[in-house]
Amino acid sequence: MDLLLTEPQSLFAETATRLAADHGGPRRLRALRAGGAEIDAEAWRAAIAAEWLATVVAEGRGGQGLGLFDLALALEQAGRQLLMVPLLEAAAAAWALSQAEDGARAAAALADLLRGSGLIVPATEAASWRYGGGSSGIRYDHRAGVLEGSLAFVAYGETADAFLVAIEQGAQPMLAVVARTDIGVSTKRNVDGSTSSTLSFAAVHVPAERLIATGAEARRLTLRLQEFLTLGAAAELVGLAAAALAVTLDYVKLRQQFGRPIGSFQVLQHRAVDGFVDIELDRSLVYRVLAAWDAGEHHPAMVAAAKARAARSALQVTRAALQMHGAIGYTEEHDIGLYYKRAMVLAARYGGELGQAGRFSDLTLAREPVP
Amino acid sequence: MSSPMPSGSSSHTSSHTSWDNTTLFVDDDPADRAFRAEVRDWVAQNLPAELCNRSRRIDPPELKPWHAKLYARGWIAPHWPKQYGGMGATLTQQIILFEEISRVGAPTPYPHGLNFIGPLIIEVGTPEQKAKHLPPILSGEATWCQGYSEAGAGSDLASLATRAEPDGDGFVVNGHKMWTTNGHFADWMFALVRTDPKAQPRHAGISMLLIDLKSPGITVRPIQTIKGDAEFAEEFFVDVRVPRENLLGALNDGWKVANRLLGSERFTTGHPRNAAVILNKARQVAELTGTLHDAGFRTKLAALEIDLMAFSAYYRHAAALHGENRAPFSMAPVIKIVGGELGQRASELLVEAAGGYGPLAGDMTIGNHAVNPAAELFEMRRVTVGSGAVEIQRNIIAKRVLGLPS
Repeated sequence: MDLLLTEPQSLFAETATRLAADHGGPRRLRALRAGGAEIDAEAWRAAIAAEWLATVVAEGRGGQGLGLFDLALALEQAGRQLLMVPLLEAAAAAWALSQAEDGARAAAALADLLRGSGLIVPATEAASWRYGGGSSGIRYDHRAGVLEGSLAFVAYGETADAFLVAIEQGAQPMLAVVARTDIGVSTKRNVDGSTSSTLSFAAVHVPAERLIATGAEARRLTLRLQEFLTLGAAAELVGLAAAALAVTLDYVKLRQQFGRPIGSFQVLQHRAVDGFVDIELDRSLVYRVLAAWDAGEHHPAMVAAAKARAARSALQVTRAALQMHGAIGYTEEHDIGLYYKRAMVLAARYGGELGQAGRFSDLTLAREPVP
Repeated sequence: MSSPMPSGSSSHTSSHTSWDNTTLFVDDDPADRAFRAEVRDWVAQNLPAELCNRSRRIDPPELKPWHAKLYARGWIAPHWPKQYGGMGATLTQQIILFEEISRVGAPTPYPHGLNFIGPLIIEVGTPEQKAKHLPPILSGEATWCQGYSEAGAGSDLASLATRAEPDGDGFVVNGHKMWTTNGHFADWMFALVRTDPKAQPRHAGISMLLIDLKSPGITVRPIQTIKGDAEFAEEFFVDVRVPRENLLGALNDGWKVANRLLGSERFTTGHPRNAAVILNKARQVAELTGTLHDAGFRTKLAALEIDLMAFSAYYRHAAALHGENRAPFSMAPVIKIVGGELGQRASELLVEAAGGYGPLAGDMTIGNHAVNPAAELFEMRRVTVGSGAVEIQRNIIAKRVLGLPS
């Protein structure tokens, strides 16, 4: 269904739709993947020029003071067009930097990020959103000002100039920008051509005066940063699933078997409808939760619900899409496989269906039953 | 902007991981909030306690005093225009009334008169039909039923065979209607009948008749449902005379008349609360039986809660779009499919939650009220079949929304 957008939101969504369509698409992804690129530099320059990052940055800090809801309009299009840009990660970092109480410490990094001259992506503890499991492998020693350990599953780690290290667990939460030259980065490739990096911190010196936030503030910002990433990935998944469904509908309307288009068969029709219905519900849920998030309402269980469902639907829709394409869907040559692979990556990133649903269950089962 | 929290939040909604899942994502503006509070107070003072949280269906005669109270208060037909005795209410107000009445486990009036035939008479009825039929529908004096389905015409409704032949200044009806909810309690039936047997396509030969069920030649027989109660009936028509003035809309125009009802009347019957209430019972029962500690149960419960949340978001979104006359065609079938299937899954979980008590033929007592898991389960089998099976709804979306070929 149409989202209920304000006039400026509609204009922004239109621009985002056009920009993503101009720069994205399966052919473009294929070329990038063949070249081993982690990021589409051209598309990223266009996103920076369109000031997409500014949507989530407060006006007083050089942004437009809109919200994650607005950014999600662009994220959905990025998902739809399989864009290889660090939009979600850079926006999350920009948001967190702009939210720091001590704005001065974050100002230079934020300005570079918004200008596109220094890419910063978040690096946070995967275990805290059940993404990869295991306990946190990183510690910050406040007295010595030293970071020690590692952080896994960081996106765009090859391209990033610096990382927004955000630690909420343990006694010493902290938020700091750490240059890639100060740490070890080991990068592995995902099935869709995107990457996943592990950052190693060997006694990295981060003096107290360089910390962007500490204590309760760092903890709050880190939790919100993780929610930002989780919801943003859900918005991308909605766009991705919608695109995969559209590609599949086009195919089943054309492909003939038994003397008629296979899209006339009820079994395939109902499978397509189930995908359509799931995407409709996901879009409503994601944007409702985004609106609440922007309004400062803190509902971690709802965030988990949105991601769990968006991940489930996107995987279901892309799997069904492969099946409906028949043998051609099993080939490297056909584009539908790219949607499936991207869905796998985005579903797992920042917490998959089972992890998020489990988190939801833990958070809500403490709740009193409704009388 | 929208808020996920219910407006009338009570103590348990203050924690950030809890909310009332029966009123998620409400969009009330200040006037709506005042109206909600007013309804809530009134319901608390006026609802007969014996009607609350019943584990079994309540037949129309027992509901009449409650209907009369809502009528006297002016709230019986929120969606009707004021000139016909309604409230001319916004969709949000209609939803609020439904939510506040059902919040305390009270029954809402049956929809056949108020939501189905009433609005149709208002739209296409003659002045005489309006004067004759609308007041008794409002007051609850007349009980109506819907005569669409037949033994041979369920999902394929256009194949219906009950015939109405012109005869003097009226029609003579012969045939058989089936699966008629409240047919054995009803005073009147609005029926789709064949008035042109040769018409092609078949639905072009169908008319809508208002039939007085006390007319000579009608035999009504209740049908026991899988739950064991008589929710619906079948009616046999042998040379039943129906005056011409009881034709609703033009001759052979019945299919179009019936299809005018596809939008907002689904809003309360498809409310996410219907599933939420059952899901909450499942949770309570699971706490009592210990099933709640079962990892498998918790996984299923979480999946259902998440789906319910998504459906609630969709529902509010749809209502808001509807309020701006921008609701898409897919809205009604989506609500029908998801609302029905979610309620059904919730009822299955309720039976699982009950463990050994699940197949119990009678009630089990939870706190101070009775729960009957098996009855809820059976009741929910109906919602994916009645008024257009979910498969038919999927066909409609496939063809009319996704543009898939026939």
